[in-house]
Amino acid sequence: MYGWIWRHLPGNAWVKALLSLMLAMIVVYVLFQYVFPWAEPLLPFNDVTVDNQ
Amino acid sequence: MAATTDTEHQEHAGEDGPPDPGAGRRGRGPRRIVAQTVSVFGELLITAGLVMGLFVVYSLWWTNVVADRAADKQAEKVRDNWAQDRVGGGGPGALDTKAGIGFLHVPAMSEGDILVEKGTSMKVLNDGVAGYYTDPVKATLPTSDKEGNFSLAAHRDGHGAKFHNIDKIDKGDPIVFETKDTWYVYKAYAVLPETSKFNVDVLDGIPEESGKKKAGHYITLTTCTPVYTSRYRYVVWGELVRTEKVDGERTPPEELR
Repeated sequence: MYGWIWRHLPGNAWVKALLSLMLAMIVVYVLFQYVFPWAEPLLPFNDVTVDNQ
Repeated sequence: MAATTDTEHQEHAGEDGPPDPGAGRRGRGPRRIVAQTVSVFGELLITAGLVMGLFVVYSLWWTNVVADRAADKQAEKVRDNWAQDRVGGGGPGALDTKAGIGFLHVPAMSEGDILVEKGTSMKVLNDGVAGYYTDPVKATLPTSDKEGNFSLAAHRDGHGAKFHNIDKIDKGDPIVFETKDTWYVYKAYAVLPETSKFNVDVLDGIPEESGKKKAGHYITLTTCTPVYTSRYRYVVWGELVRTEKVDGERTPPEELR
């Protein structure tokens, strides 16, 4: 999987490394900005109130 | 794991050398397919581990950064409003409580102040503030001067983690609520270290579980426990000792000095 991505990135090893880093950063951004905020309320870690639900 | 590594070595070896059309890497039959499958599966597992690790970083660090930023901004707005009212003598729109109604000071739990806003929805609490209950039991605000229970909730971990050290509050510790012109000094008198999340009775106007039978001016802090989970709720009750007028310098009451 990662090997496949590496092989399909253009340029020499340095360019590939830079592109990989950018890809990784985009993934982290999407996770922090969209995926985790969406997933968090679905997980039972942070309910602080008492209620009858 | 060994199989994965081996495969990767082969792949890289094939990649670094000159193109070799004869020995196509996909042309080696079922063994190749098995190796490839194992490799992809291993990489997926590693990815899953990384994502979970990132989620922990997100929960325990990033949400605090975001929440503290939001809370600081809102707190500043409240302070600004108060200061303007003082100068301008309180014209129309003087009481803008949307940004928050006041600040909670609990020296035993945390340095600094905690902004208090209306409601205990995740949307409110995720801004790194404490919220007063509107549901299932409506909180009685101290500013109303009525007898009742001023019930609050805030996050234990992440999103500002304002009540993280709630277990440091002992009986007798002061809990001070600051509004525009009054300091409400409460004293913690009962702690319930573990209760069900369905136990809404702790929010009652007269919280009987704390041992009180008569109406009075109470304050209730709730959050989740044990830390990093939400299995139970932690509750601290306090009772109003006295109130103090805020002076020109906003000198804090002696409990906070």
